[in-house]
Amino acid sequence: MIRALRVREHEAFPQVYVVEFEDGSERLATVNMAPGIKVYGEQLVNIGGKEYRIWNPYRSKLAGAILKGLKTNPIKPGIKVLYLGVASGTTPSHVSDILGPSGILYGVEFAPRVMREFIEKVAAYRTNVVPLLADARFPSKYAHIVEAVDVIYADIAQPFQSKYVADNADMFLKKGGWIMMAIKAMSIDVTKAPSETYKREMNELEQRGYKVREALHLEPYDEAHAFVVAQKT
Amino acid sequence: MAKKYLFITPLAVYILDEHGEPIAFYKLYRDSMSREEHVRLLYDMEQGRLSEKILEFIASNIKKEDELVVEDNDLGRFISNNLKDARVESATRGDAILKARENLTSIIEKTVGVKPQEYYSLVHELMLQLTRLKVKEVAEKRDLFVAQAINALDDVNKTINLFASRVREWYSLHFPELDELVEEHEDYFKVVSNIGFRSKMTKERLKELGIKDDVAEKIVKAAQSSMGADLTEFDLEAIRLISDTGLRLYSIRRSLEKYIDEAMYEVAPNIRGLVGSLLGARLIALAGGLDKLAKLPASTIQVLGAEKALFRALRYGAKPPKHGVIFQHPLIHRSPKWQRGKIARALAAKLAIAARIDAFSGEYRADELREDLEKRVEEIKTLYAKPPVKPERAVKAKKGGKKFRGEKR
Ligand SMILES: C[S@@+](CC[C@H](N)C(=O)[O-])C[C@H]1O[C@@H](n2cnc3c(N)ncnc32)[C@H](O)[C@@H]1O
Repeated sequence: MIRALRVREHEAFPQVYVVEFEDGSERLATVNMAPGIKVYGEQLVNIGGKEYRIWNPYRSKLAGAILKGLKTNPIKPGIKVLYLGVASGTTPSHVSDILGPSGILYGVEFAPRVMREFIEKVAAYRTNVVPLLADARFPSKYAHIVEAVDVIYADIAQPFQSKYVADNADMFLKKGGWIMMAIKAMSIDVTKAPSETYKREMNELEQRGYKVREALHLEPYDEAHAFVVAQKT
Repeated sequence: MAKKYLFITPLAVYILDEHGEPIAFYKLYRDSMSREEHVRLLYDMEQGRLSEKILEFIASNIKKEDELVVEDNDLGRFISNNLKDARVESATRGDAILKARENLTSIIEKTVGVKPQEYYSLVHELMLQLTRLKVKEVAEKRDLFVAQAINALDDVNKTINLFASRVREWYSLHFPELDELVEEHEDYFKVVSNIGFRSKMTKERLKELGIKDDVAEKIVKAAQSSMGADLTEFDLEAIRLISDTGLRLYSIRRSLEKYIDEAMYEVAPNIRGLVGSLLGARLIALAGGLDKLAKLPASTIQVLGAEKALFRALRYGAKPPKHGVIFQHPLIHRSPKWQRGKIARALAAKLAIAARIDAFSGEYRADELREDLEKRVEEIKTLYAKPPVKPERAVKAKKGGKKFRGEKR
């Protein structure tokens, strides 16, 4: 395996790192909050006494978005995140790394099998992660657990995703807080051109009072996916 | 008339005024309370149920003319059904509750006396436990599905063998040499279904089907000089009906295996982690469910699936079997005979623990269990490296009946 040489913090995003390898290549990484433990077979590298987890943009849309030049990344150390659709925890584990011990991630997932994986690979080792086996379409079902959050990150690939995200944001998002949402064109409506679906989902957010601040395509890291950042004003 | 808001948190229930300030609270969490009780309480709330005491607390803090806003519909309904005079409204867009939610940790600290850091670690623990409980509950009802699936898998395997023998015998009338050249049933089916006539066998086509180079060459050669009878399209169609079905059965087999593997992850992750999904599912099927398996002593798990041999032993005083289906585990069948019984015992002991964790707590500890087991097996291998010297024994009478692999002693 090619050796990692150096590491530097990302210019814009705290706790996001860029690892330089021997062959001149560079990869994103985060500092592993659960040393020694891999979540999805990612590479672990040791530099200067710290363990970094290489963050794969082909597996994680947030990493893809960062490499595609995302301007606002509200996910910072110490903040509170409500994450809809954690699946087995690929992206959530990196978000947990970024938040660090003083932040908190409430992770919602409704498929029991993947939730089990999420618990055993991610939540069990990370004190800043609170697992919630629940349906993101019914936020009142976890309203007694979740506090107000700074960011809602949504990756639930549902038709009318924006409606559900806005429902969650109405209940849990602080004023000035952020929505980050991956929109999968195909699973929302296959009959329409991708761009049309993105537009519709963004309109829905705007109508519900959330200002879209940024939108980008994730190609080549992800086909037919867009990434949207919006704010509660 | 005033609007009041019900605000529920993991440690206390609050009544808020219109500005989101708590005017009364009821502690859910007490030092005397066990973690299990606390988890149960949160679980009930999620199901839309509140305890007597919480209802009393609500009743004593709202006046007749007050309107109580509750976020969750089910809880709202529960309260209005149980407190006849209460005027309950469900709404999820109240600034009052959002405001309290923003101050959650400081409200908790003031009222319950739990500091933020401690609060978060409590919530982390509680939800870890509650979520495990819920995942387990979903899975519990699925163990019998897995048991059926493994039985179906056995049916499929039997049918594959049956059809394979039939197709081999039938197609051999046309191309007898193929039978020995292609050992894998699936490959045989592929050749018959996709190429059919031996005159059409070419190296390229055979390789497309995934047949190895040298074998393909032999097949082509054999086809050119075959002694088999000629075949008409009419005859071939009939053979293909069965061969195609054979191929379809292989694809069903793969889907079933995948289903079992995924379902086992949910139903019995520790058993799966220890012995793999198929063997694990087979044990669940033999026991009649995960709960039943979890209640069996290790010594019974050790011989599950060897009932015939066990009864024979009881009846005729023969030696009892050392292993049932767990013989299928490579640690056992790849070991020399004289070590198998000991390894089987060690494996069964770990299986008993794994089954209990799966049935009762749902945590994942298979990796430790497997490491322990491997250590123990290493020990056995060094302690009993040589076969024991057999004492002279009288020639034993052979009782009839076929020996099963799983019942060997
Ligand atoms: C694309 S995956 C998420 C991957 C994850 N965000 C990551 O990057 O590692 C989508 C997940 O959302 C879950 N999901 C879909 N609809 C949901 C809903 N209504 N409530 C909760 N989870 C949902 C699915 O079960 C699936 O695991």
